[in-house]
Amino acid sequence: MRAMRAFVSRLRGLADKERKDRELAEELESHLQMHIEENLRSGMTPEQARRDALLKSGGLEPAKEACRDRRGLPMLETAIRDLRHAARLLRRSPTFTAVTVLTLALGIGANTAIFTLLDQLMLRLLPVRNPEQLVMIWATGPHLGNAQRSRSSSYPLYQDFQHRTQVFSHVFCRFETALAVSIANQTERVAGELISGNYFQALGVGPAVGRVFSPEEDDRVYKGHPVVVLSHQYWVTRFGADPSVVGKKILVNNYPMVIVGVSAAGFSGLDPSRSPQIRVPIQMKPLMTPAFDDMGERRSQWIHIFARLKPGYTARLAQASLEPLFSQILRAELAEPALRNVSRYNRDRFLARKVLVELAANGYSEMRRNYSTALVVLMGMVGLVLLIACFNVASLLIARAAARRKEVAVRLAMGASRGQLARQLLVESLFLSAAGGAMGLVLSVAIIRGLLSFLPADGRLLTLRAEPDWRILAFNVGLALLTGLLFGLAPALQAVRVDLLSALKDAAGAVAGSTSSVRLRKSLVTAQVAFSFLLLAGAGLFVKTLANLKQTNPGFRDIDNLITFQIDPALSGYSLPRLRAFYRQALENIRALPGVKSAGYALVPVLSGIEWDSFMNVEGHQMKDGENMSAFMNGISPGYWQTMGVPLLEGRDFDDRDEGDHTVVAIVNRKFARHFFGDRSPIGRHIGTGRELDIEIVGLAEDSLYEGPREGVRRQVFVPFVQMDFPNPVSFYVRTSAGSEAMFAGLRRKVQELDPAMPIYQMKTLENQLDERLSTERLVATLSAAFGALATVLAAIGLYGVTALAVARRTREIGLRMALGAPRGAVLWMVLKEALDLLGIGLAVGIPCAYLLSRYVSSQLFGVAPTDSGTAAIAAAILAAVAAGAGLLPARRASSIDPIQALRHE
Amino acid sequence: MTEKTDVRQGTLALMVLKTLEAMGPLHGYGLARRIEQTGGDRLSVNYGTLYPALLKLEQEGFISAKWGVSDNNRRAKYYSLTRAGMKQLDNEARQWARTTAIMARFFVPSGETS
Repeated sequence: MRAMRAFVSRLRGLADKERKDRELAEELESHLQMHIEENLRSGMTPEQARRDALLKSGGLEPAKEACRDRRGLPMLETAIRDLRHAARLLRRSPTFTAVTVLTLALGIGANTAIFTLLDQLMLRLLPVRNPEQLVMIWATGPHLGNAQRSRSSSYPLYQDFQHRTQVFSHVFCRFETALAVSIANQTERVAGELISGNYFQALGVGPAVGRVFSPEEDDRVYKGHPVVVLSHQYWVTRFGADPSVVGKKILVNNYPMVIVGVSAAGFSGLDPSRSPQIRVPIQMKPLMTPAFDDMGERRSQWIHIFARLKPGYTARLAQASLEPLFSQILRAELAEPALRNVSRYNRDRFLARKVLVELAANGYSEMRRNYSTALVVLMGMVGLVLLIACFNVASLLIARAAARRKEVAVRLAMGASRGQLARQLLVESLFLSAAGGAMGLVLSVAIIRGLLSFLPADGRLLTLRAEPDWRILAFNVGLALLTGLLFGLAPALQAVRVDLLSALKDAAGAVAGSTSSVRLRKSLVTAQVAFSFLLLAGAGLFVKTLANLKQTNPGFRDIDNLITFQIDPALSGYSLPRLRAFYRQALENIRALPGVKSAGYALVPVLSGIEWDSFMNVEGHQMKDGENMSAFMNGISPGYWQTMGVPLLEGRDFDDRDEGDHTVVAIVNRKFARHFFGDRSPIGRHIGTGRELDIEIVGLAEDSLYEGPREGVRRQVFVPFVQMDFPNPVSFYVRTSAGSEAMFAGLRRKVQELDPAMPIYQMKTLENQLDERLSTERLVATLSAAFGALATVLAAIGLYGVTALAVARRTREIGLRMALGAPRGAVLWMVLKEALDLLGIGLAVGIPCAYLLSRYVSSQLFGVAPTDSGTAAIAAAILAAVAAGAGLLPARRASSIDPIQALRHE
Repeated sequence: MTEKTDVRQGTLALMVLKTLEAMGPLHGYGLARRIEQTGGDRLSVNYGTLYPALLKLEQEGFISAKWGVSDNNRRAKYYSLTRAGMKQLDNEARQWARTTAIMARFFVPSGETS
């Protein structure tokens, strides 16, 4: 307390220094005068009185000095003085300062940005009780049924795990689906999650208001729990955090439900990249997904199963204990009618399925799986960039210290203490690091924003935040400070150990610095070249990948003038006949809109990564063991081909003839026809999804892409949408004459003329759709190119610095050579060779490293080998050009040295 | 002639507090004089010791300073004890008494310590 008060008062003492000094002088003077007066009174002569008083005072100046030290904070004052001095010196060499600070800022900013996203997506633990106990349960191998998404399981399997295992305290499940929520006649599409009743209990997440679900109240009756729990975020944004929403009735997919509570703040779900806005008991499944029920269907894989380990159990232990149960279940499933006719080959593969129990302390995210490799690759690249940046700063600091040997020697000779000088040099490098860190923070925010804008537009649901993570920023700034310390301190120590005489005498030596510092700088530059090569070669591969993907012929013509949007009338409670009528009417209205050339719709949106595949029996084709008989399906309207710009090669399009509730006709694509029929015409042949060959092929269409360019052309079968007996959502496709964006409002109006409450979503051109599909590739290509360019610039600076230094160091030698008749060209080459040697060593290290690392990126590439020699050659050529450029400037300076001047040069 | 000792660091603060308590507000010269007198003229208080000590006490809030006019019409800074200073004096005095008592036991003729 006392120390605190004194400290505050001393801080205040820093201000108003002059007034305080004046007051002290006056006080001491008055003291002295009083002493003299008293001495006079006691009978001394004026002379004696004064002498005695001064003698006893112990000197005025030492007293003032002692008080001054006491008054302010001397440490702080010298620190400020050092900082001011450092700032002044740095201002005097603006290029050095700008290059250093900018280098650090770019390195730190890019690193903080990438690591912040990576942390949010991959590393952060879920905000639930004991997240380290959470596991995900899934199985590998063929499920011989249909699957909604990766790692999904059937509901009966979940029930088996829940009732027949002992290693878990809870087994729970979830299913994510879009839901239509109507409040006061306003319908909106929200992200919903169907969950088992024990979900909240298992996670240890409580309510913010009202209650959350419990297994006793909300997981008993099939279709019997019309209750909803809102997410905290949705409650705040949609309901203004009004506690009276509890008990309120809303319509979910046109079904009346009651809000019973709001989940705790901070909890968004098991997928860190998404946040469901409402949660509904899984028993309500048939009402929430009108197109399918499948609650009791073992062949339908749609839920994700999670569990909480009992204390003392590990994931491995749990998996071992689950294995016997799982193979028992597999055998039982094989005995069911649905799998009775499965071939021996598939039986064996089915029985070889493995159950996996995987730690899920940070949840499970498809997006994480899609992006994680890319992010890890980027993380590696950005880490290299930071390293290069630090090396550059180190190299610059060393060079600067060497250049200042003379200055240091002068200051030492004038009586500055070695400690003071070392401190000064250190403060300077820390100053640089801090400035770089501050700028890096600003940059990182911009970079994260930029990165997030790469993600697809439905990223609105993403919980990723654009705030840089403070721990990560602190780490990076720490690294920068460490670089500053290490490479600022080493030369500082070296500098103050300077041999005064030789340093003052030998000016040329002072510029060049010691041999060891030159060697250190050279190795730093070599490392920079090697790293730059890695980054450039990587960037080349990713840019090529993106170009290859974008240039893949989609099969659709002129995708810039093709608009798509989605509607899902079943969510608004449409029955099947009403839904079919709605689609037909919507199509007619849209076709009547001026500027629209043609329109159609399809069940599966193309180029969006979504797929529907089905086993397909083909007339006259005997299936071989292990042969993949699945066809990639789509349900389409008449006019689809014309709209997409895909030519029909043979046969006819669907039309009004194709009606009824059963699929009897199909159009296949060229790839399908070629595989099964060779060169013969497929028209009139029969195919079937079961044992019966009840579908006739009426048309043959040219190949086009399905999920996206990476997946390529699939064997496809198209059936008439109207012959499917599910109230499915569809994607409309509209070909316009021009100005797609201008058509958006008109299209919206046309649909809403039919039903004003019908939500329309994902409206964009097919070109945008393709861009979104390639967002990962675009992200990686753009960033890696930026990193590569940055690294190359940094390496160029490093190369230039080292070569220029070498010229300065050898000025006299060069002069001597030229005086003895060395031609200019020889001198030019001698200097240039120094830069090229460094390049050569750098490449010699970089190329094998690139070769070794290439397999880690192969999964990210398309149409280009990870060891593509063309890309490597281009990267090497770029670096060679940069090295030649960086070497040429100093080389020309060297070759234009006047021998006379140089020999006089000191 | 008696040898004069410089004041020990730390004890001066206590002397200042005690003197101010006894005498009321005093200026620097008065304080120095008074302390030297009290010490039986065996102490010498020079500026370099006194003023930093006063500054420290002021910073710690045990004394406060105010400009005033001395008896013979000279402007001088007057120091007085604050409430915190009084408490501090109390504590320090007790502490000092205890310390000297303990120290004294070490310096009594041997044989009497037991």
